[in-house]
Amino acid sequence: MEVMGQQPLVSVVDDDESVRESLPDLLRQCGFAAQGFSSAEAFLASEALGETRCLILDIAMPGMSGPDLQQELIRRRHQIPIVFITAHSDESVRLELLARGAAECLFKPFSETALMNAINTALGMR
Amino acid sequence: MTEDAASLESPADDLARLHSSVNDPGGRMALERVAQRISELTADNEALRKQLAERGSAEEAIDSIPGLVVALAPDGEVEFVNRQGVEFFGQPLEELKHWGTNGAIHPEDLPRLIEDFTQAIASGQPFEWEVRGRRFDGAYRWFQSRGYPLRDASGRVVRWYNLLTDIHDRKRAEEELRRAHDSFADAQRLSKTGSFITDLLADDTKFSEEAYRIMEYEPGTKVTAQRSASIMHPDDLPAFSSAVNVGLTTGADVNFAFRITTPRGTLKHVRGVAHVSRGIEGRPLFVGALQDVTEGMLAEEALNKARAELAHVARVATVSTLTASIAHEINQPLSGIITNAGTCLRMLAADPPDIDGARETARRTIRDGNRASDVVTRLRALFSKKEFALESLDLNDATREVIALSLSDLQRQRVVLQSEFADDLPKVTGDRVQLQQVILNLVRNASDAMIDVEDRPRRLLIRTEREHGDRVRVMVRDSGIGVDRQTMDKLFDAFYTTKSGGMGIGLSVSRSIVERHQGRLWAEPNDGPGATFSFSIPLEPIPRSHGQWPKD
Repeated sequence: MEVMGQQPLVSVVDDDESVRESLPDLLRQCGFAAQGFSSAEAFLASEALGETRCLILDIAMPGMSGPDLQQELIRRRHQIPIVFITAHSDESVRLELLARGAAECLFKPFSETALMNAINTALGMR
Repeated sequence: MTEDAASLESPADDLARLHSSVNDPGGRMALERVAQRISELTADNEALRKQLAERGSAEEAIDSIPGLVVALAPDGEVEFVNRQGVEFFGQPLEELKHWGTNGAIHPEDLPRLIEDFTQAIASGQPFEWEVRGRRFDGAYRWFQSRGYPLRDASGRVVRWYNLLTDIHDRKRAEEELRRAHDSFADAQRLSKTGSFITDLLADDTKFSEEAYRIMEYEPGTKVTAQRSASIMHPDDLPAFSSAVNVGLTTGADVNFAFRITTPRGTLKHVRGVAHVSRGIEGRPLFVGALQDVTEGMLAEEALNKARAELAHVARVATVSTLTASIAHEINQPLSGIITNAGTCLRMLAADPPDIDGARETARRTIRDGNRASDVVTRLRALFSKKEFALESLDLNDATREVIALSLSDLQRQRVVLQSEFADDLPKVTGDRVQLQQVILNLVRNASDAMIDVEDRPRRLLIRTEREHGDRVRVMVRDSGIGVDRQTMDKLFDAFYTTKSGGMGIGLSVSRSIVERHQGRLWAEPNDGPGATFSFSIPLEPIPRSHGQWPKD
């Protein structure tokens, strides 16, 4: 495992435990630093907020939703590229999120390739 | 006699001479003249008295006439009014001479009366009109006024006699009759209800105004059976004729409905009720009412269509909501499975391979797989009825109830329903509501399959029968578009449908219900047009295991 700081930090915010467990592991295997959060509020309260280069964000969560967090980050002038993930495949929602500046919106279950492409798009947005 | 007459100045002179010269010849002559004169005067007096008496009795007669008698001069001036007249108006003759200005005549009638009267006087022709006179108490009453001129030998009018007869009560009855007729016509118009009376032997129908309007005949047109038939929709003729026949043979009230094509080419829905009554001379009369129910029918059609569309939309909405939530529930664990499996592969491919990590992700993959499987189990629990309500039931009764429920739909779709219920049908054990759902579904399908059939009757046969001793069969046969052998099997697949509005759930659900009863549901094409759907179930279905009914 490589030292944090040399690899870009990808944060995962999802209330679903299996995503929170599996996705950071896969991201680490793919050469990123990764950290999981169970809610938008937990992410905003963490030190990862300043370090995160890409945010993988679930749309529907209890409390603050994914799009709510997106708005909050814009308000706080944190320009973190966001890859939304959702179990509801609704193309109109996806287009709206892209229009609001998201790097990508993936419908669960998504492939590894799709995920990597989305993260690369996000990192390229800086 | 001339000189005598000249000398005879007065009876007093004669008396004076009588005194002076009784024995004088001239005196005698005078005396004789006086006697003569007296007798003449007496005679005159007698005649006069007689005349007066006669006139009195004539006046008495005139006064006793049941009516007001007015005599007028040739120029129209009132000369005489009988007692009834004076009493009625409460005015003396002198006052009644001014009838044109004194309010004796109703102001609305006065101008016309003066005009007509002036004309009658001028022409000398008898007259007759109706006029309102004011009674002494201020109330007006209607009179019929008839006038005749009395002419002398030369034909000149010397007097007018005018008889006024009180027709107030008759007039009021007439007005009431007219009002009743008007309000009857209004009510018919407002309720769009027309009435008719048909003299069956003469084939002659009398229509009310509104009936003419409903049928859109020229008012006054002679209405015959042939004429009515010519505008009636041909499909509706047999039902109408049979309703009329039932009415004639049983004497009961019969309802009927038919459509007509109006001269403008539009379709009109007419509904009616009628019965036979024995009219004058015992001739049978068919008496009834007609109603234009087009608006209601169109509204109902629109409502039904909207309802059907709504039901369809609701079903689609339900299914799509359901699909979305099922997808969400399944996609979550699937996402975990794919991610973990990917991670697992990467860990195994590393150098050296991360065996512990791979084992952990494989474990998570299994866990997520179970999670997905749990979701499916929960869904099945949600959709399957927990308990099967078993009871001993008569499929004839169950089928009759379904028919009763569908009857108005079937009638609207002009389906001719025929049912053949087996007399010896044994009872079966099953879930009444679910089996009725199956029958209803088959009846609906049959009726829907005939919706486009225009060239033949839309016949629907429902039959129950005992089969092979220990089974009961319900059969629904239509004369619709039919099914070919290739699609026969697909029919029972979920979401397979031949109907534009259908979801393709009915037959698949029906088959699963029948199979729960250890029965069989199948379709076969008819020899003629249409298809036959049947199901048969054993009298006592044997539960599959441990007395438990299968959940699916």
